[in-house]
Amino acid sequence: MTWSDVTLIAPLVAALLVAFAIIVVDAIAPHRDRIAVAVGLAGLAIVAVLTVWTDQAPGLAFGGAYTVDTLTTYLDLIFIAIVALTVLVGPDYLGPRDLPVAEFAATLVFAMTGAMLIAGSADLLVLFVGLELMVLPGYLLAGYAKRDALSTEGAIKYFLLGSFSSAIFLFGLAYVWGLTGTTRIAGVADAIAAAQGLSPALAMGVAFVTTGVAFKIAAVPFHYWTPDAYQGSPTPVTGYLSVGPKVGAFALIIRVFVEALGPINADWLPVMGVLAVLTMTLGNLVAVTQTNVKRMLAYSSIAHTGYILVGLTAYAADPNSGGLEAVLFYLAAYSFMNLGAFAVVSALQKRPGVTSQLDTFAGLGRREPYLGILMTLFLLSLTGIPPTAGFFAKALIILSAVQAGGWVPILAVITVLNAVAAAFYYLRVVVYMYMRDPQIEPAEVDHGPLLRLGVAVAAVATVILGVLPGPLIDAATKAASSLFRG
Amino acid sequence: MSIPETIPIIGASWDDVLFVLFAVVMLGSALLVVTLRDIIRSGLAMIVCFAALAGLYVLLGSPILAATQVLVYIGAISVLVLFAIMLTQTKAGPARLVFQTQWWAAAIAAIAVVVVVIGVVASTDWGAEATRLQSVTGDVARLLFSDYTLPFEAVSVLLLAAVIGGIFLAKREDRRDEAPR
Repeated sequence: MTWSDVTLIAPLVAALLVAFAIIVVDAIAPHRDRIAVAVGLAGLAIVAVLTVWTDQAPGLAFGGAYTVDTLTTYLDLIFIAIVALTVLVGPDYLGPRDLPVAEFAATLVFAMTGAMLIAGSADLLVLFVGLELMVLPGYLLAGYAKRDALSTEGAIKYFLLGSFSSAIFLFGLAYVWGLTGTTRIAGVADAIAAAQGLSPALAMGVAFVTTGVAFKIAAVPFHYWTPDAYQGSPTPVTGYLSVGPKVGAFALIIRVFVEALGPINADWLPVMGVLAVLTMTLGNLVAVTQTNVKRMLAYSSIAHTGYILVGLTAYAADPNSGGLEAVLFYLAAYSFMNLGAFAVVSALQKRPGVTSQLDTFAGLGRREPYLGILMTLFLLSLTGIPPTAGFFAKALIILSAVQAGGWVPILAVITVLNAVAAAFYYLRVVVYMYMRDPQIEPAEVDHGPLLRLGVAVAAVATVILGVLPGPLIDAATKAASSLFRG
Repeated sequence: MSIPETIPIIGASWDDVLFVLFAVVMLGSALLVVTLRDIIRSGLAMIVCFAALAGLYVLLGSPILAATQVLVYIGAISVLVLFAIMLTQTKAGPARLVFQTQWWAAAIAAIAVVVVVIGVVASTDWGAEATRLQSVTGDVARLLFSDYTLPFEAVSVLLLAAVIGGIFLAKREDRRDEAPR
């Protein structure tokens, strides 16, 4: 271990220390939620600064097991933003339900460390450990409301299927390792390129890896755990689960499929294409029939996975199509708008007992005008209407699919059709907020300052990315270009 | 008197015979784990399964892995599982095997996967990798502290996260829940 190793993993070490700090502070001053949140946010800010600082001197650490490149930095910053927003939104929901905030924040930071490890992994073993470190806290968070049967049920389903899919993924990695004799991602790519073509054993390995990953991103037909886990979890956790592990799993896909399995991208291209079509179509069709907003957003997040897979397919068909840039932009835009939408749902559910049924939203536009407007903004963005982040995200994905050539432009058409269908269920919530009167006038809810800040940050990000997408597109392009090896 | 190279009469090598023996014991006990109705017996069958796997590791020339298997899986995990079962067991379990309604589809899928896996593994030349696996303990240690330092350290973080999560789930409700339930 050299000094440069230490400086390159500084953000990871700092993230760990933040988790420790939150726990220690909570042990010294138990249940002072504000202090725990303050320590967490300050720590996350330091981690963000360190992440940007390490980006000044990119390189490989630990003998090529960990890499810091523009992609690592880009993804790390998204993870930090996701966790920071969740920590802001969480206490308002957890507090009235007597759920501790400090453990919540510390667990999130642990998960973030895992996600950052995935983003920077240059070794399949590091990647797998990072994956486990990211998802394990997720299981805990899904069952965070210990006395709520739905939460426990969702957590157990998530845990069982998650562990199962991790095992399948690892089994696939074992095949890849057995054939190539190395766990270093660059070495795997070289060995696969040298072997020229897909041997049966490699095909089997890729099949298992794909299955495992498809579970993690909740691609159809591997999505069955999603609605139950999302609906059962405490709402801020649902918001986190719908973006954090998903962005992390896509980071993993980029490292495994784009880098390690890059030489055989023509072979996994059709699989991704089929997954993309199934995922967005089924996600949208089922979302239309939902009357529970949390469940509806769960299916909508499945549909968004499909859109992102379209970008990945476009990249596999033609690396110059801009597919990877589109995926990276989409991940950032999706994180903010989806977290924002869940933050509003969570704000409405501040009082224990309030459900996430559509009826809860009736008359919201009149009752809480600000929250109503912001929810409308997030939903418009999720639909993909300009000038919001969601518009450019979808536009980039569709453009890349058109440019990819071959049969991939068909995916662009299907994406557009799906986006139109999705407008129906997103806008239905808006209709409820502005055109329906609640059957029983709900009691007034006083929202905490942290929650207001969280929703505001998500809203500002959604608008800025929609009005001035240039800087983020540049960053995504730079991040994508750091992947291509000569 | 030394042991003959091959088993007298049959003519098969000791390695092959032992491999078949361990494999049969492992698969048999694994089947017992999922089909026995008494969950304690399932747990005991699992220990047999782990022990047979440790034997396979020895045959493959990796005594360190075999020792780890015995220490961790048999010594720690199985015993822990048995304790957990004994502490939480309820008497009211179904007396007969309970199958999901889609068990036949699962059976077909499982058999198909097994056939494909066997076909693929048998048809692949694993070549150099198979001999490279003859690892000695020193090599494993050297790898752990050179090429694989980072995952080694990351695993400890993973365990820490798991411990914190486990404590949170298991601990009794504290101050905030003093209100009568």
